[in-house]
Amino acid sequence: MDKNDKAKRQEVIETEVTMGTVHPAALEPYRVRLFVEDEIVRDAEITVGLNHRGIERIMEGLPVEKANSLTEKICGICSNSHIWNSVMVAEKGLEIEIPERASYIRIIMGELERLHSHLLYLAHGNEVLGHETFAMRLFFIRETVMELLRMIGGNRVQYGCSIIGGVRPRCELDLMRIQKLNEGMDIIEEKIGQFADRFVSDPIVMSRITGVGVLTKKDALRLAATGPTLRSTGVDMDLRRDMEIYDPFDFDIITQQDGDVKANLLMRVLEIPESIKIIRQAVKNIPSGPITDRSWEMQDTGIIKSYIEVPRGKLLHSYALEEGRVRGSIVRTPSITNIAAMQHACIGNHISDAQLAIVQCDPCFTCTDRAIKITKIEI
Amino acid sequence: MSIKSYSRARAVHAMLVYTGGCNGCDIEIVNTVLSPKFDIEQYKIFLTWNPREADVLIVTGPVTKHNEKPLKEIYDAIPEPKAVIAAGACALMGGVYKNIHGDIPSEEIAGPVEEVIPVDAKVPGCAVRPQDVLAGAVAALPKLLGAK
Repeated sequence: MDKNDKAKRQEVIETEVTMGTVHPAALEPYRVRLFVEDEIVRDAEITVGLNHRGIERIMEGLPVEKANSLTEKICGICSNSHIWNSVMVAEKGLEIEIPERASYIRIIMGELERLHSHLLYLAHGNEVLGHETFAMRLFFIRETVMELLRMIGGNRVQYGCSIIGGVRPRCELDLMRIQKLNEGMDIIEEKIGQFADRFVSDPIVMSRITGVGVLTKKDALRLAATGPTLRSTGVDMDLRRDMEIYDPFDFDIITQQDGDVKANLLMRVLEIPESIKIIRQAVKNIPSGPITDRSWEMQDTGIIKSYIEVPRGKLLHSYALEEGRVRGSIVRTPSITNIAAMQHACIGNHISDAQLAIVQCDPCFTCTDRAIKITKIEI
Repeated sequence: MSIKSYSRARAVHAMLVYTGGCNGCDIEIVNTVLSPKFDIEQYKIFLTWNPREADVLIVTGPVTKHNEKPLKEIYDAIPEPKAVIAAGACALMGGVYKNIHGDIPSEEIAGPVEEVIPVDAKVPGCAVRPQDVLAGAVAALPKLLGAK
């Protein structure tokens, strides 16, 4: 037997398994090459760039209001985060102070988005695990959040909530909406508690995800992972703590120690109650007053940068304003570094766990593919 | 009704292909299938990821240049009879990515789905509502069932 094994190893030095461009576990088009030896992944290579639409180039030279609503179309999961940050760039440059009520409504929308993004991640993770019942239960919980988002924003995916100087008038929170928000939060808190109990006490699921796709703290920092992926390795870093807009709220930042799939899934389960806590405080203490400040004037600015914490990590938007038009727009989404970290995390796992190891960072390939191809123009 | 179309009506398999939109339509369609609230399986439509098993192809997104070839290959791999549903504003007319320039088309987009593969049913919306996906999927069924 030993002789046979040795012979096989010498024959098959390197086997390549390719997944993609269309693969069930990912939904989005990307390509992953796994270099396999004895069914253990020795090296991995993830190729992005299939969704490239050149959105930063489309933004170049557009009026700033139009460009802001275009940033929402970068991603269908964290659409509100993109428009929020893009609007914040203009507000920083034009030195606009938004009304307090508007910033509370923005936070409510942002946290609702975090809820639906995390619930989607959990559902998707469970689907990749093969546990479709959990996925269906989570989609059922998520539907409550989607209804709340539709009630406030008017659409299920693209809300267009923030505008320069505040929020859109249709996103005003009246008493009926506040009551529905409170009811919705009660339902989600109860159901996510039930889910967490079942999830943690399920020995089959736990044994499947413990110790799979481990990303060490050192690697996570070296590869610049952000957001929950970084926090799951034990690094206590959350930009929400540094954002002025979050100052009035009391919430905890969750960290896990292991950096494997279990830590990542539990991160999201534990972050959901924190988001509910923030929404409850915002709804309770929301100040009265106007929601839009229209007394601002357009002027030229230099390149302004703005960072915020979105469900997946740290998001950068940056552009300069010239005669009310956008110049030199740059968007940097958290997924690009997280995907690079996942390339490292699936090394050493069994090949059947590789897809799970990649999915653990909540990759969003639509966010990622924005690199601009510059070709020479002959004049 | 032949026995073939009788049995086919009871197990329609839909495949979802995503060709570079913003992910919104995509998740809404998966939501339609998996969420107990909408539950497309009550109309005997099931989600599959294998083109050789599929009867219905649901396409979202404004086919980017890189995705043109994979989409054609997937379409060719589906056995006859087959129906194609284009879902979302991007799949119907390129969405913001193609038309934002006005008369100048974007270099990155290979065109709406119709210019790449033939389309049977169209579902509008940005992003599509799950109810509309249900209606679109049910509208594409007669083409499958009419074939012998």
